Amino acid sequence: MVRRRGAFVANKSLQTQTTVRRYLSDWKGLIYNLAFFLNGLLVFLLLFEDRFTVPIWMQAVGRMHPLVLHFPLVVLILYCLWVVIVEKPDSTRWNAQLADSLLIIGTLTAVVAAFSGFILSKEDGYESDTLLWHKWLGIAISLMSIVLYGSRKYLAPWKLHSKLIVGAFLVIVFVGGHLGGNLTHGEDFLISPLGPSQDETPKVAFEEAKVFDNLVKPVLEQKCLSCHNEEKAKGGLQIQTQALLVKGGKGGMLWDTTKADLGLLISRLHLPLEDKKHMPPRGKVQLTDEEIVLLAAWVKGGSRFDQMVSSLSPQSPVYAYAQNVLGGGRTEEQYDFSGADADEVKKLNTTYRLIKPLSAESPALFVNFYNRANFKSEDIEGLMPLKGQIVSMDLSKMPVKDEDIKRLAQFPELRKLILNFTDVTGATLGELKKLTKLRELSLSGTAVKMAQIKTLESIPSLKKVYIWSTGLSVEELATLKKGQKIAFETGFRSDTLVLALNPPIIVTEKQLISKDEKVTLKHQIAGTVIRYTLDGTEPDSTKSLVYDKPIAITKNSTLKARAFRAGWYGSKQVDKVFFKAGYPVDSAQLLTPVDPGYKGKGAASLFDGKVGDTERVSGTWLGFNQNDFQGYLYFKKPVQAANVTISMLRNIGSYIFPPTRIEVWGGANEKSLKLLKVISPEVPKKDIPGAENLVYEAAFEPQQLSCIKVVAKPLSKIPEWHGGKGGKGWMFIDELIVN
Amino acid sequence: MEKPIFDFGINTTRRHFLSKLSLGLGSAALGSLLIPDLFKGGGGDAGVDELMAGLPHFAPKAKRVIYLFQNGAPSQLDLFDYKPMLNKMHGQDLPESIRGTQRLTGMTANQAKFPLAGSIFNFKQHGKSGAWMSELLPHMASIADDLCIIKTLNTEAINHDPALTFFQTGAQVGNRPSFGSWLSYGLGSENQNLPGFCVLLSRGKGNGQGVYSKLWTNGFLDSVHQGVQFSSGENPVLYLNDPDGMDRTQRRKMLDNLAELNQGTYNEFGDPEITAKVQQYEMAFRMQTAVPEITDMSKEPESIVKMYGPECLVPGTYAANCLLARKLSEQGVRFVQLYHQGWDSHGGLPTEIKGQCMDVDQASAALITDLKQRGLLDETLVIWGGEFGRTNYCQGTLTKDNYGRDHHPRAFTVWMAGGGVKPGIVYGETDEFGYNIVKDPVHVHDFHATILNQLGLDHEKLVFKHQGRRYRLTDVAGKLVKGIIA
Repeated sequence: MVRRRGAFVANKSLQTQTTVRRYLSDWKGLIYNLAFFLNGLLVFLLLFEDRFTVPIWMQAVGRMHPLVLHFPLVVLILYCLWVVIVEKPDSTRWNAQLADSLLIIGTLTAVVAAFSGFILSKEDGYESDTLLWHKWLGIAISLMSIVLYGSRKYLAPWKLHSKLIVGAFLVIVFVGGHLGGNLTHGEDFLISPLGPSQDETPKVAFEEAKVFDNLVKPVLEQKCLSCHNEEKAKGGLQIQTQALLVKGGKGGMLWDTTKADLGLLISRLHLPLEDKKHMPPRGKVQLTDEEIVLLAAWVKGGSRFDQMVSSLSPQSPVYAYAQNVLGGGRTEEQYDFSGADADEVKKLNTTYRLIKPLSAESPALFVNFYNRANFKSEDIEGLMPLKGQIVSMDLSKMPVKDEDIKRLAQFPELRKLILNFTDVTGATLGELKKLTKLRELSLSGTAVKMAQIKTLESIPSLKKVYIWSTGLSVEELATLKKGQKIAFETGFRSDTLVLALNPPIIVTEKQLISKDEKVTLKHQIAGTVIRYTLDGTEPDSTKSLVYDKPIAITKNSTLKARAFRAGWYGSKQVDKVFFKAGYPVDSAQLLTPVDPGYKGKGAASLFDGKVGDTERVSGTWLGFNQNDFQGYLYFKKPVQAANVTISMLRNIGSYIFPPTRIEVWGGANEKSLKLLKVISPEVPKKDIPGAENLVYEAAFEPQQLSCIKVVAKPLSKIPEWHGGKGGKGWMFIDELIVN
Repeated sequence: MEKPIFDFGINTTRRHFLSKLSLGLGSAALGSLLIPDLFKGGGGDAGVDELMAGLPHFAPKAKRVIYLFQNGAPSQLDLFDYKPMLNKMHGQDLPESIRGTQRLTGMTANQAKFPLAGSIFNFKQHGKSGAWMSELLPHMASIADDLCIIKTLNTEAINHDPALTFFQTGAQVGNRPSFGSWLSYGLGSENQNLPGFCVLLSRGKGNGQGVYSKLWTNGFLDSVHQGVQFSSGENPVLYLNDPDGMDRTQRRKMLDNLAELNQGTYNEFGDPEITAKVQQYEMAFRMQTAVPEITDMSKEPESIVKMYGPECLVPGTYAANCLLARKLSEQGVRFVQLYHQGWDSHGGLPTEIKGQCMDVDQASAALITDLKQRGLLDETLVIWGGEFGRTNYCQGTLTKDNYGRDHHPRAFTVWMAGGGVKPGIVYGETDEFGYNIVKDPVHVHDFHATILNQLGLDHEKLVFKHQGRRYRLTDVAGKLVKGIIA
């Protein structure tokens, strides 16, 4: 029972299979017949090609060619690959029929494609060798595929001869398809991205650019040529040569300046995009507004082929366009050599020798040298592999010797050579005449001589030479400047210019100088004479002391110094107060309150060894206004004292006056003080501008002291002539020094 | 049983093979998408290393820039833009029609009157172009034939900080990369022993405005492009000397070991700032020999000292910075940025401007002459100017010989020299009140675009992608000022 049922099922499935197979074979037969008919029609049409005109409605069929052609291409290629690669004698799998199915689909679509292609070829503008080949190969593919299908019984796909035939067929499919592609997209469409970049079309210098060749033609080539060339001359127009462009197409001349719309070319560009006659047709890359303006201006200007851009007025739209396209005023030099090997350039670069191309795309290299200490002649020699590319070298400040000039003369492409402040003496400058392209040579700061510079005139290309700060005399420079051939840049000369020197610099910052310390001075220009005084007199250029070694300070004194040098005016005076450092004070105490605004570091400010800045009353200054200053200085061990120096400030503009009275008391302790000295400074009678450090020295009989008291009284009433008249004056004190 | 297992181990199945093959093809295709030149042989840029892989888009006219920034805004009406009409109408109110809708600063917005103030300084024409310059600038006047004077700069900001930031970074808000950083990013440093972007500060006695390090920031660019501020003391670069007891070999060894540690951290985290740091250490090591050579002024010939003025030997002065700028530029520093403070003369302008001109006139002119006599002016672009101009009317009380001027963004003067700009020309015109531009305006973006052009860079192509957007120095604007390009 079970077996019978099974047999029945098997039987039924066999039946279904047969039906399907029959249906399939019918389906293929149908297609085969249709394809056969179409191929016959195609051959018929070919035979009577001359008498055939395409009816309008059929043009649509022709234009379907780009749509349908890809089916046969894909299917036939699949078929060929299947047969060539996969088919084996024991192919009894599900896909035994695959090759046949592919081939028959390919056959039908191929004939449709061939038929539509034939009709399309009847349209205007397709007359060329490429078309001819494409047409016949297309027809061949169609016919061959149907022949292959018809004779498939004799071509068992696993046999070698079938594989060879199908392989050959594959080649024909490829070639035919590729030619069709060329026809639509242009000859080099496929491989152009692999070639040199489009941007590398040689750029022209602005001065040498022609309106047609460098501006108009590139636009026409980019936007129009693909449909108006010898292979595809839509509207009968070809534009690949000037003559053809002038001739125009079926519609006649392309331009007519007598018309308001300037003729066909420009009016077609200006038509609305939807208009059928608009050029380039909808879907193609359109011209930019600037390009349309350019073409219109060119046509309007008489469509001349020889006009130079530089002959146009800068106001002309073409000129503006040219500036954009050709890089404005950028007149890049064109080099006729090719670039160096990038790895070589990379290898030769060091941190002290820079080698770079002028720009990313330029073959030309420039070289800069840095760091005098590292430089060797071999560094020039080592560049020889790049001698065909190096156009400029900067060797400023390198120890380049005369014999190195010979090495430099081996770089034939050099345009600019900078040898400023090198050790070159000029003896070998004649060697440079080998550099036939040298335009600029800089020799500033070298020891070149007149006679040697004369030899440079034998370099015909040399335009400019820099000879500032060389040993040449004024007369020699004048002679050179008169020469016509080379422009000599002689630079700035200081011989006749007399300026005031900078004042000397008092290097020593501290003002309390002990007997082991010295005061140092300096001047930025080496060899400048510094003269100084310590006695308060103005230093002069003849009698004052010459500074030749650091100065010892034996008593409180004001150092005044000026600088002098031949060829310069004497400097302004600098001065600074120096104190002879005293006994170290152990502690101090303020008896009266210091003004809270200017309290410094309190009593400690009085013996911190720092003299305050006269410009700023903050920091170490103690300010008093409402009350006197009274303070003690203590010494643990009695000191042999002979004087007390009180450092104070005057800045009348800021209400800071000298004290009216200073008292110095001394003794063994606070209780046994004796008045040792009284100083009564004068109240200023008029304004004294600026700030000054006042030094009061209270001298007395030398004696042993352990405690010293100092009292100072500020001005109680500011005089009438001052803006703050009647008020109390300020008093600033910052240091007490006991010697 | 062993053989099939063995086979399975060494063989791949057909399916496996095909999927692997497709993966391989796919990755090759992807690779060629990501690295466009993968399948193109040869050619390309001769890059040196990442820092040096600058790409001028085309051959540059100028290789380097020295920007003499006059911080605080010098009065164009007292220096370059000669307006006799202001003298004629001295004290009369600025006509409404001229002022138009110009917004004013809080300092003069409440002024009842806007009395025009003619310059008290005498003007004369100089050079072949007949450029007007005031008596305050005798040295600059003597090199008028080398200058390209642009009278029609205009900006959008009316206060110092945004205006300064706009000039330096192309945007009024902070934290965009500075001009010098863009150049360092685009072109790299010529000299690997020095930073590509150096900043030098000086201060005049006039009313000053601050400069902040945000003006030489690298913004979102890699921090190797940050401006390096030189100190104005005797040692322009601090802490450059090795400490006592450490010699060069020890230092080298220390840096090598440090670099190894950093490389380890980099491998772990991949933060590019780590490599930037290593590069900075390396540069500092090379700077130890390069910088002392540059900052040593004692080898300069005496004629140089006279030309720049003896002040050039006093560290921290404008003249000293000009001389240092020349030396840095000569050694391949791409962008040297000077700032001279003290031009913000809201009151007492005649006195203040005199002092400022004393500071800058001689040294600015000397810098041009100096570059010229070394054959370097054609490859170095020098720029002189402030962040905006000053008003033609007086701020505060106007007397016969004293006045102040407020900020004026609509028209002001900047000059350039060298670097492929036309020498000896005056570009642009302002109206007879010196208030509005009547011909050839130059916006800050145009100014930037033009300078980049001189350096071989297309301002629209020098971009950096940050937070999903491509940024440019010129933002989304900027036109080349063709009229000044030689």
